[in-house]
Amino acid sequence: MFLALNEIKKNKLRFTLIIGVLMLVSYLVFFLSGLATGLENLNRESVDKWKATAIVLTEESDKSMYQSSLTIEEVNEIDAVEIAVIGQINAVAGNGDQKTNVSIFGIKKDEFIMPKVTEGGVFVDDNEVIASDALKEDGFKVGDELHLSSSAQVLKIVGFTDKARFNAAPVLYGDLATFHRVKFGEAAEANKESINGIVVRADELTAITKNDSLESIEIETFIRNLPGYTEQNLTLNFMIYFLFGISAVIVAIFLYVLTVQKISMFGVMKAQGISNSYLSRSVIAQTFILAAIGVAVGFVLTLITGAFLPSAVPVAFDLVTMLIYGIVLIAVAIMGAVFSVLTIVRIDPLKAIGG
Amino acid sequence: MAVLELKQVKKTFGSGHKQVEAMKVTNFLADRGELIAIIGPSGSGKSTFLTIVGGLLTPTSGEVIINDKNLGDLNEKERSKIRLKEIGFILQASNLIPFLTVANQLKLLDQVKKENMTKKQLEELYEDLGIGDLRTKYPSDLSGGERQRVAIAKALYSNPSIILADEPTASLDSDRAYEVMELLKNETKNKNTTTIVVTHDIRLVDYCDKVYKMTDGVLVQEK
Repeated sequence: MFLALNEIKKNKLRFTLIIGVLMLVSYLVFFLSGLATGLENLNRESVDKWKATAIVLTEESDKSMYQSSLTIEEVNEIDAVEIAVIGQINAVAGNGDQKTNVSIFGIKKDEFIMPKVTEGGVFVDDNEVIASDALKEDGFKVGDELHLSSSAQVLKIVGFTDKARFNAAPVLYGDLATFHRVKFGEAAEANKESINGIVVRADELTAITKNDSLESIEIETFIRNLPGYTEQNLTLNFMIYFLFGISAVIVAIFLYVLTVQKISMFGVMKAQGISNSYLSRSVIAQTFILAAIGVAVGFVLTLITGAFLPSAVPVAFDLVTMLIYGIVLIAVAIMGAVFSVLTIVRIDPLKAIGG
Repeated sequence: MAVLELKQVKKTFGSGHKQVEAMKVTNFLADRGELIAIIGPSGSGKSTFLTIVGGLLTPTSGEVIINDKNLGDLNEKERSKIRLKEIGFILQASNLIPFLTVANQLKLLDQVKKENMTKKQLEELYEDLGIGDLRTKYPSDLSGGERQRVAIAKALYSNPSIILADEPTASLDSDRAYEVMELLKNETKNKNTTTIVVTHDIRLVDYCDKVYKMTDGVLVQEK
């Protein structure tokens, strides 16, 4: 550490450049991880809020809630601690000024997936809905009447709830009758038993239903099967993993160049009896210091950037994930220093002193 | 008692018809308090002698004994420890680390040798070598003579029994060269160490107790 710190102190510009590169890489990693988390939330936050174990859909729906069609009576075939029925339809909703994609959830008010209202009240009358507060940012407010693209029904926002987006669309929670009117129009009465799925809290997934035409899908599996969800996550995660590799290579190149410049100095030190392990520890310590500073600055910079980003940018910083990525970045930087360590070990002190 | 002894030491490089005998069979003895010069032209085998004595090069045959320890019986790690604890090196172009101040050059030795000098001993070292005012300076801020004095301070740090100096005055003008030799002589006597100076500058031999001449790998005592 002694050699490492003194060298950094003496060659501030050189090491500031290395820290700068590491900072930019970590900034990009943290930002991408924030984007990945934000986009994940965009898809799943309403489902996460249910705190459910599984969702029961028809077997032929291929784990898609939209494609699943059940009747309320099928609840009788479900064995779980808590049960909540759900109907779902996608639509474009507009209040005259703004238009946006929405996902309409038809639920029963007394069941566990009923959201907590953060502003306004709960739905009481026909066609009243609680909207995701993401709509507030688009200019929607309590009392707005929503005209739907695929239905003649007009919905009314009576309240807002937080963290209520599903598959990248804000959710409108209404009662089942409202959902039926939107989905079936004049045929609502004839389809009043129709739902898309049954959300459950259960102890054991396999014991939820014995009906072969129904499938109990664990919530995580259900989310992974949302259209585009896995592909999007894989893309962003690949970018992050590539950045880990790139940062290891960058650090390896920088440190290797620095080490090669100091071969004769290391050789003299080895001739004087200073051990390989001391010199190697010094290089590792130096890498740790540089990487830790770079990652810390990148971390702070990411949080500052996040605070100033418009809400339309789907960024959510998960501090635990960022901490893990930070540790991984420092670890790969240290792995990059291994080349320098090997170079030091191979230095022949005899050559260094001109023997 | 001899601090350093070479018994029937020989060094050859290469094999077959390309074999070169860099140092022919050599016997050598050095005691405490002796300043010894090894002189000879370039390519005579001086550096081979120095690197064998310093444990950096293994002889083809014979024994190198430092304070009763036969270097041939030791592995690289143990030889490295001997170099660290028992030998001080002074090299031609000084052996200073460019990013350490003079004080930190010595502090580094504190760390690696784990034999801290007392504050009083350290102050004496600074005073003896006249480098007390240079503590906060980096090697790039020092003159050639100052750099070599700091290099000597490093070599003398924590009193090694042998100082090996390879052309320590090569980069200095005559006045500075004599000054450095005077310093080496004083420190050798005061600290009762053994100093071996390898040089091609015969003007320096007046400072030495013994002088050996190396010619084509043959070491002969001249004084």
